[in-house]
Amino acid sequence: MWRLFKIEWMKIKSYVAFKFLFGGFLVLFILAFWTTAQQFMKQFSGKSIEEVVLKNLVGSPFVFPKVWQSAAWMGGLFFIIIGMLFIILIANEFQYKTHRQNIIDGWDRMDFIKAKLSVLLFFLLTSTALVFVSGLLIGLIYTPSGELGNIFEGSIYILYFMLMALVYLLVAFFTAIIIKRTGLSIVVYFGLVFVIDNLLWASLTLKGSQIGYFLPLESVDSLIPNPFTPKMLMKREVPDWSLIAAAVVYSILFLYTLRKHFKKIDL
Amino acid sequence: MTNFSMAVLTVQNITKKFPRVKALDNVSFEVPQGSVFGILGPNGSGKTTLLGIIMDVLKASEGQYLWNGEAGNAQQRRKVGTLLETPNFYHYLSAEKNLEIAAAIKGYPKDDIERVLKIVNLYERKDSSFSTFSLGMKQRLAIASTLLGNPSTLVFDEPTNGLDPAGIAEIRRLIKNLSEQGKTIIMASHILDEVEKVCSHVAILQKGVLKTSGTVSEVLANNEEDEQIIEISAANLDQLRELVTTFPGVNKISGNNGVLQIYCKNEITPESINRQCYSQNIILSHLSVRRKNLETRFLEITDENKPVL
Repeated sequence: MWRLFKIEWMKIKSYVAFKFLFGGFLVLFILAFWTTAQQFMKQFSGKSIEEVVLKNLVGSPFVFPKVWQSAAWMGGLFFIIIGMLFIILIANEFQYKTHRQNIIDGWDRMDFIKAKLSVLLFFLLTSTALVFVSGLLIGLIYTPSGELGNIFEGSIYILYFMLMALVYLLVAFFTAIIIKRTGLSIVVYFGLVFVIDNLLWASLTLKGSQIGYFLPLESVDSLIPNPFTPKMLMKREVPDWSLIAAAVVYSILFLYTLRKHFKKIDL
Repeated sequence: MTNFSMAVLTVQNITKKFPRVKALDNVSFEVPQGSVFGILGPNGSGKTTLLGIIMDVLKASEGQYLWNGEAGNAQQRRKVGTLLETPNFYHYLSAEKNLEIAAAIKGYPKDDIERVLKIVNLYERKDSSFSTFSLGMKQRLAIASTLLGNPSTLVFDEPTNGLDPAGIAEIRRLIKNLSEQGKTIIMASHILDEVEKVCSHVAILQKGVLKTSGTVSEVLANNEEDEQIIEISAANLDQLRELVTTFPGVNKISGNNGVLQIYCKNEITPESINRQCYSQNIILSHLSVRRKNLETRFLEITDENKPVL
């Protein structure tokens, strides 16, 4: 896998879109998380009645332990950039037929899949590390020193972020392999993430059903609720473990289908 | 049947069906070691599909192929230098970086890159990105890539595509050169002249059906008919034609540009024709024996109205 990743790295390290989008994710996330934290803490430091009420409703999103949830949620907001980048990296191979050349030159078909999974892993680990470090730093900055207990309490949200990133990247992988055209793959991916997933979820949830939470993307989205939404507005009743189980099952299904599909198609 | 162990590539009953067309229909042949094997056929005859299958980028509907007697696999492909259809490279990377990727996949060190770039005269442009290359340069880079690691077998799909006349001559020289080093070369082409000039063996494909295969001289020879072509000309062409028609052993006469082409038995010699015409007071202004070339053979073989061999 490491050998395959080194070859993938040769392909992407000087690719402009890679630098731009990966760098964009890093910068946007850090800036957004940090400035939101700063603005929020400044505004809610006052003692007015409204502020106290609001504070009781949403808690303290930038203080341990809730800061982990906020970091994971904000990471999720920007992660679509990485999903798009991953699609570009895969669909480009099809567009320029370099996937064929890789195989002609001596990769097994599964080597191609494994190589892309190594890139997926790279995105997964770097983005999770970024979210973790950001959560930790913001938490340390804004948690009053007297209230610093076990700072890693609630850091399970970092693992939830990782699971979310995995599912989003697998959906991206799947979309790119099936559609093979860079532009169209991105359009379909955005459609799935922003339109289809939300519409299905809304129509199911408004009927009072909990099934909507088990949609592939929704299962991981719901694991990390919006930290600014008051608890009383949450409609989810299904427990975290069931969503985790759903996400794991989806991941295995995606990988299995991908593998089977790629083994038999004409490239 | 050639000796099994000598075949570099064995294609067995390969059929490829696409939704609307049967691109290959039960194709079988063997590529002997050390041969320059031409796969000849018009555009759309299934040449690239066949090469795609033996490189595992397409899946055969039926049949199988063996490389050196073994079912095809990734390890085997690393030892075969292949140019399939079009040069496929990362457009934003330089020639050198692209070859580094190919070398890494094949498992060869980078050291060989300089050598192969020099062979195709691209060394000076090694740092230019692939997207700035002309079609001919792209093609040359693809050929350089096939030479990485000095493989003993090479597969070229239309290798002179996009090259200017000098480039074409260069690549043909390179192929001859590689063949002299004892390498086996499999080459698909729709250019008859190219196949005739560089190949020792040829397989002719038409609409996915293998029409014939063997050494070039075997395919050229028309064993059943023992036919040759003698070209003659005289001042009075009609008179000449009338006379020649009476000769025994003449199968067909066709004429163009003031020259008659006589398709006749091998027993008929130029001398006998000359003597008979002279005795009838016809003075020949032109007399030559034309070896049948691949073009005439190809047209005969692919002529659908005519039974083959």
